[in-house]
Order: sequence, then C-alpha cells, then structure tokens
Amino acid sequence: MDGNYVTMVVTLVVWVGLFIFLVRLDKKVKRLEEKLK
Amino acid sequence: MWWKTLIFVAMSVVIVFSFVTPAPQPQIGEASRIFYYHIPLAWICVIAFAMSMVYSIRYLKTRNIAEDDKAAEVARLGLIFCALATVTGSIFAKVTWGSFWNWDPRETSIFVLLLLYGAYFALRGAIEGEEKKAALAAAYAIFAFITVPFLIFVMPRVVPSLHPNESVVNKEMQFTMGVTVRWIFAASLVCFTLIFLWIFNLARRVSVIRRAQMEREQ
Repeated sequence: MDGNYVTMVVTLVVWVGLFIFLVRLDKKVKRLEEKLK
Repeated sequence: MWWKTLIFVAMSVVIVFSFVTPAPQPQIGEASRIFYYHIPLAWICVIAFAMSMVYSIRYLKTRNIAEDDKAAEVARLGLIFCALATVTGSIFAKVTWGSFWNWDPRETSIFVLLLLYGAYFALRGAIEGEEKKAALAAAYAIFAFITVPFLIFVMPRVVPSLHPNESVVNKEMQFTMGVTVRWIFAASLVCFTLIFLWIFNLARRVSVIRRAQMEREQ
C-alpha cells in the first residue's frame, strides 16, 4: 500500500507540473496573440 | 479560467481515487491501476487521428492552409499520446508478463500505428512547396486513418492475445467493471479528453502565430 501512495504523490507532482506549464504557456500565447493584433 | 480550475481539481481527484480505491482487476493486481491512464491515452490517440483525418478532408475541400496546420498539429499530439499509450502498456506488460515487449497483437498494432504516423511527418518533411505538401499529407492522413479502427479494434480481437480484452465491456457489450471503477474510469476519460483539447487549442494558436509571423517576414 505504501508503494501506491508514493506513486500517487509522484503522479500528482507530475500533474501539477504539467498544469502549471500549460497555464503559463496559455498566458504566453495570449500575450503573443495580442502583440500580433 | 474556471474550466482550467475544474480540470485541475477533477484530474487531481481522479489521480487520488485511482490509487486509494481497490485495484480495478484484482486477479491482475496493483498493476491494473494503469488501466485508468493507459486506456484514456489510447482513446485520445484514436480521437486525434480521427480529427486529423477530418481536418485533412476539410483542407482538400477548401484548400485553406489553416486546416492543414490543424491536421498536422492534431496528428502530432496523436503521435505523442500513442507513444505514451505504448510506454504505459509496456510497463504493464513488464509487470504482468515479465517482458516490456512481447509482439502481442495489440503491441504490434500500436507499433504499426506509430510507424504510420511517423511516416506522415517524414512525408511532410520531405516535400517542398506548401500546397503540394499539404495536399499529399492530407491524402495520406485520410488513408492512414482508415487502418486505425482495424488496428485498434479488430485485429487484437481476431488474433489470440495476452492483452486483457474485456477490461471495459465484454463480448455482449456489457460493462465488466464495478460501479466505483466505472466512475473513476469515466472521469479519467473525460479529464484526459479535456486536457488533450486544451493542448490542441494551444498548439493550433501557436501555429496561427507562427504562420502570421512567417507572412510578415515575407
């Protein structure tokens, strides 16, 4: 069971990292789109 | 922003529940938890390739280069999700069958799929001239997708396979999963689909920016 919790935490860390990356990328793209207008 | 928060919370809940609830297939054991991630990845790979075919048809109809850009972006994402499905499948194979790769019909199918869409990008890279490249790639994407239902759904069921074939539904098309597993699986499928659509939206917008910059430079 301990192994499951370790894997769960690692998966959550990966997910949080991916989510932050996508949010930041979204903001960057929005900025570039506004520059192009 | 609310929908991003919703995706974040929903996916986090799916991750937690996928590990704290009993394993979906007790006869396979803890390794069967990968089912909550592996199947949605394979599902998105099929959706992405289907979308690539639709955008390719639209390109051939309208000759609008933006449609070709969308077809290429969604095929690229499909290829990434296909590679992730292959990796998660290999991990499952190692734990349950003792080897990362067994040339099982489903493994062979996904390998052929990777080659098919890898060739799509090789084709795009080999042709010069925007319109010629777009037209040939669109024709290729349409023919490539015709093989997808056969490779994913038919071939692995016709040939004897090690792969669990009745994880979701049985031959009578009845759910084989318990209620909890079914809910976590459905939520995982929805979350992965939304994340895919978000990434695709970003990729599409980046390609629009790239094309606009190229046009400015010319």
